[in-house]
Amino acid sequence: MKLFTSYNRILSVITLAGLLVIGFLFYQMLGQYLNKQIDDHLYEELLEVQDFTHVKNILPSPDGYDDVIVEYKKIHRRPDKRKIFADTNFYNPKKRHHETARYLKTELLLNGESYEVMIIASKFERQEEIKSIILIILLPVIVLLLILWLVNRILIKRMWLPFRQLLANIKAFNINQEKVFEPIQTNIEEFKELNKAVLNVSLKVKSDYKEIKLFTENASHEMMTPLAVINSKLDTMLQSNTLGKEESEILDDLYKATSKLTKLNQSLLLLVKIDNNQLQDKEEIDLEALINEKLNYFLELIQKRNLIVKTELIPSAIYANYSLTEILINNLFSNAIRHNYDGGSILITLTEDSLSFSNTSTRSALHPVKIFERFYKDNASEGTGLGLAILKQVCLKQNYKLTYRYNQDYHQFTIIFNQGKINPG
Amino acid sequence: MKLLIIEDEESLRRSIHQYLTAEGNICDSASNYEQGYQKLSLYDYDCVLLDLTLPDGEGLLLLKYLKKINKTDGVLIISARNSLDQKIEGLSLGADDYLIKPFHLSELYARIQSIVRRRHFNGNSIFHFNEIEIDTTAMEMKVHGKPVYLTKKEFDLLLYFVANKNKVISKAAAIVHIWGDDADMADSFDFIYTHIKNVRKKLTDSGCKDYFQSVYGIGYKFTDK
Repeated sequence: MKLFTSYNRILSVITLAGLLVIGFLFYQMLGQYLNKQIDDHLYEELLEVQDFTHVKNILPSPDGYDDVIVEYKKIHRRPDKRKIFADTNFYNPKKRHHETARYLKTELLLNGESYEVMIIASKFERQEEIKSIILIILLPVIVLLLILWLVNRILIKRMWLPFRQLLANIKAFNINQEKVFEPIQTNIEEFKELNKAVLNVSLKVKSDYKEIKLFTENASHEMMTPLAVINSKLDTMLQSNTLGKEESEILDDLYKATSKLTKLNQSLLLLVKIDNNQLQDKEEIDLEALINEKLNYFLELIQKRNLIVKTELIPSAIYANYSLTEILINNLFSNAIRHNYDGGSILITLTEDSLSFSNTSTRSALHPVKIFERFYKDNASEGTGLGLAILKQVCLKQNYKLTYRYNQDYHQFTIIFNQGKINPG
Repeated sequence: MKLLIIEDEESLRRSIHQYLTAEGNICDSASNYEQGYQKLSLYDYDCVLLDLTLPDGEGLLLLKYLKKINKTDGVLIISARNSLDQKIEGLSLGADDYLIKPFHLSELYARIQSIVRRRHFNGNSIFHFNEIEIDTTAMEMKVHGKPVYLTKKEFDLLLYFVANKNKVISKAAAIVHIWGDDADMADSFDFIYTHIKNVRKKLTDSGCKDYFQSVYGIGYKFTDK
């Protein structure tokens, strides 16, 4: 739930409840007040009845009053002087309908006889009055509340604008890009503080990341010289004429391990280089020609494994860095050859805006995300575990979409060139 | 050939020295900028192996100095930095080649010979190994005067072995030489076997003696001994 929605919900519940309670109380108080007024009026009427009988010695006619109805009933006991005020319904003969009313019931001694006197006054007009009063008071209050709510909404929206901007900027922040975090312009202290904090964090993250990259780069570079020493010593040892079978096997293993280590180091350096955007120069590249060239480059490897390569290529050109594109194709080829079985097949499809490599393999479907992680590989693989990670990194940097799909015994890697593609014409 | 090795890593320098002198070359060594500077000033070399990161100075400055005093020594830069910028800078300053560490000694030797060949014969070099005649510019080879058709990779491989004749070349070194660093083929060691078999067959088919010798399954040697 949004902060504003949550805030609004609480506010509306409280406002509504408050309005109901206050309205109810207000209505009750007004009713009480009006009842009291009517009761006073009824009492006056009673006094008038008493005066009338006292002076004229006859009971006043029940119809002799404009706004009240007076009823008499003879009783045969001593009158109880208590006055009872209460609500009732009565039939208004003039208006011909029932109305709520208030009555005063008491017993009087009139001309030496006991009477029960009931004076009824209609509450109809008074109730209409209450309704009007409540409307007159409540309507402006409701309108005021509505205006307040609207103003609140607009104000909050405007006040949160810097926050939204900040959020957008944080989302746009990319550790891999040169662009630093963009601070927002605001006068609100809290946002200023948040802005500052985020800016500091982003700078720290950037510098830490840079340091890690630099560390990887330096560590890999530093390892190159010792590797060169190992290599040269192995080469020197190989020239010795006194090698036995056992020593030769050891030497062979050492060569393999050194090659792998060298390759690993080079791959790490390459990743750093791609991360650092060191390969920027772009040019138009004829993909069809490049793929055919690479097919020739890997020809012996393909023949050795008796792989059948089917190509469906149409002329296609992209505008990109040549080294990166070469790495891309090399890695796709290496991957398709390495993870194949002898006599398997490779299908290469190049369309106007996509390139896909499909290969058979002893393995079934792979994890579509994990395979692109660094150092993720199956135990049987002799590779560095960086090939696909490099592939992904190159695609990321060039804004290509890279997907993996397992389809009818084929592992398919597809690259969709969306940006960087030369538009026809 | 007279060579100078300017490299601060002692054990690497010794290995290079040992490998190159065994072939009858005369090698001088320098372990820092100062020594390198002196030797470059005093003597002439066919080729100088130059490490770029020396403890007391930049190797590129030595290259600049060499060009300034108008020496015609060939220069092969050996560097741990695989940086395109540095490579371009080195080559534009007049270096003949750029080799990235780690490298195989056989690769180093083949490159040195290539540099020296280009410098001394203006690149127009045809050389012989018994009945084999190799033309490096036309990329052609003949056996007993008759042309043998090799693919580019096969030609490269043969040239590599001839340049390192009498030396054992490991399969790892041969793979790097033919496929470079780009292909992630470190696990395809045995694959070079097929490749050499093809070259061997083409040579013997055309009446050439089989000079390839397999050495304990680790590598091959090209020799007439």
